[in-house]
Amino acid sequence: MSSRIALALCVLLLAVAPFTLSPFRLGLLAKYLCFAIVAVGIALAWGQGGMLVLGQGVFFGLGGYAMGMYLKLSEAGSAGLPDFMVWSGVEELPALWKPFANPVFALAAVVLVPGLVAFLLGLLVFRQRVRGAYFAILSQALAAAFVILLVGRQGITGGTNGLTNFSRFFQLDLTDPNGQRAVYAIAAVVLGLVYLVARLVIRGRFGRLLVAVRDGEDRVRFLGYDPAVVKTVTFTMSAVMAGLAGALFVPIVGIISPALLGIVPSLELLVGVAVGGRFVLAGAIGGAILVNYAKTAFSEDFAEGWLYLQGGLFVLVLVFAPKGLAGLVTGARERLAARVRKERVA
Amino acid sequence: MTVLLDVRGLRVVFSGFVALDGLDLTVEEGELRFLIGPNGAGKTTLIDVVTGLTRPVAGSVRFGGTELVGRREHRIVRLGVGRTFQTATVFEELTVLENLDLAASFRLSLPSLLRKRRGVSDEVASALETAELTALADRPAGVLSHGQRQWLEIGMLLVQRPRLLLLDEPVAGMSKDERERTGELLQRIAATHTVVVVEHDMEFLRRYARKVTVMHQGRVLREGSVAEVQDDPEVREVYLGRSAVRGAAAEEVS
Repeated sequence: MSSRIALALCVLLLAVAPFTLSPFRLGLLAKYLCFAIVAVGIALAWGQGGMLVLGQGVFFGLGGYAMGMYLKLSEAGSAGLPDFMVWSGVEELPALWKPFANPVFALAAVVLVPGLVAFLLGLLVFRQRVRGAYFAILSQALAAAFVILLVGRQGITGGTNGLTNFSRFFQLDLTDPNGQRAVYAIAAVVLGLVYLVARLVIRGRFGRLLVAVRDGEDRVRFLGYDPAVVKTVTFTMSAVMAGLAGALFVPIVGIISPALLGIVPSLELLVGVAVGGRFVLAGAIGGAILVNYAKTAFSEDFAEGWLYLQGGLFVLVLVFAPKGLAGLVTGARERLAARVRKERVA
Repeated sequence: MTVLLDVRGLRVVFSGFVALDGLDLTVEEGELRFLIGPNGAGKTTLIDVVTGLTRPVAGSVRFGGTELVGRREHRIVRLGVGRTFQTATVFEELTVLENLDLAASFRLSLPSLLRKRRGVSDEVASALETAELTALADRPAGVLSHGQRQWLEIGMLLVQRPRLLLLDEPVAGMSKDERERTGELLQRIAATHTVVVVEHDMEFLRRYARKVTVMHQGRVLREGSVAEVQDDPEVREVYLGRSAVRGAAAEEVS
């Protein structure tokens, strides 16, 4: 019951935010919501499935670039070329870009490209029984390789600058506060939907199976299940969520670039989930919002200190509260209930 | 009688150590077969090969006419071969009921797995009863005692309706009372299933075994009834002699 009240309260807070926060602060909150969407996927893959995903930036980026390419083309000048291509002397639109002029294709790509990449990678890796630290390192290496690829192909990807200068998102004017509110609302609704999907997955039989795979992958085989399939499906879901978040990030923040997707940003996504509590969806969402809020708050005053603070926070949580803030809350609630029970007996 | 499991010329080598050395073994439909032998005789290795955990360097395992060697573990389970482990492994964070339900759901498609469990199927309910775990159905399996874990594992096996059950030392580490209850459970299961039991416990063997296969150094040494095997001088030498001494010592201690 109390968790329902908490949920209602969160929905209420998100609903009143557009009317109380300044456009700048609302934009920041919308950005945190994007990270929270990624966090739901991480909680699913890592918390429930035991897959330490250190490279979610890749899928975030795939979704982000898919959206960014469409937005760039919809604002392209008479030559039909995005501005950065004109500057770097590209004369014809690269073949890779052409289908992204179609909004339906671009929206489908936001979901399908990260999903397909994760699916193929998952089949390959999990069938070979790559797991634990090996999988974590592999996913991290993927993030590093992705950044190198993006930076290297400047004519197609915009290089280190990435894709930026967006003023419109479909029919919405991103320079107008109302347009920004609408984009925020979309992010909030997507977060809500992603949360509901993840909750359904966790509560169904598949969720039990996922926990079983996490705790005893080899034993699950002898129940007649293929753990590789279970893990691939879950990994794909988490990648699609990251892709959606990346796509929303573009109109909200106005840029997608390699610096947002590499090893460090991918780890930062993880820190939020660890702090909030990876075993509980609400914990992961809250942790992602909280850590990113703290990052903004601290960076405004002393930018240099934040990285140390974040690292310290991560270590503290791992040592003293491996289940994160959500674990502390449930622990306290259980202790309280035990005390009440004891008093009743006495 | 039709042959259910037919093992021919099985050879397994672990970095130079020959665990199975051209083993031949046949189990017929409806049999309750005990596998005994001193440590290192290759009993567990045999189960590991049949269930796909270990690959042999040579030989074949045919199950109802289908070759099992080279198939992946979950495929073999789907063909109808189930096993338990020496140290019972259940999913500690899931409840007893969820453990059984998961075992029973292994033939469901992915979309139907995504749905929530509704109620308890008759099969799962009867397995709960068989394993005497009905009262603990909603407790996490992590709280179960050693014996209860073994029963839960056997229950998880039963709801999968396997054609062949391989039990690896089901009474190891059990109290006398638990052993007796496991023996009764085993008899009930064997009435309707083909069962192969690896067991060290001689008293348990004498009480519940019908046909016994004695393994030694990766081969079959003798096969027959408990009495036949016990009277065999060669068996006494490699196994029963030593074990009888050990068994007597254990009884004195207890």
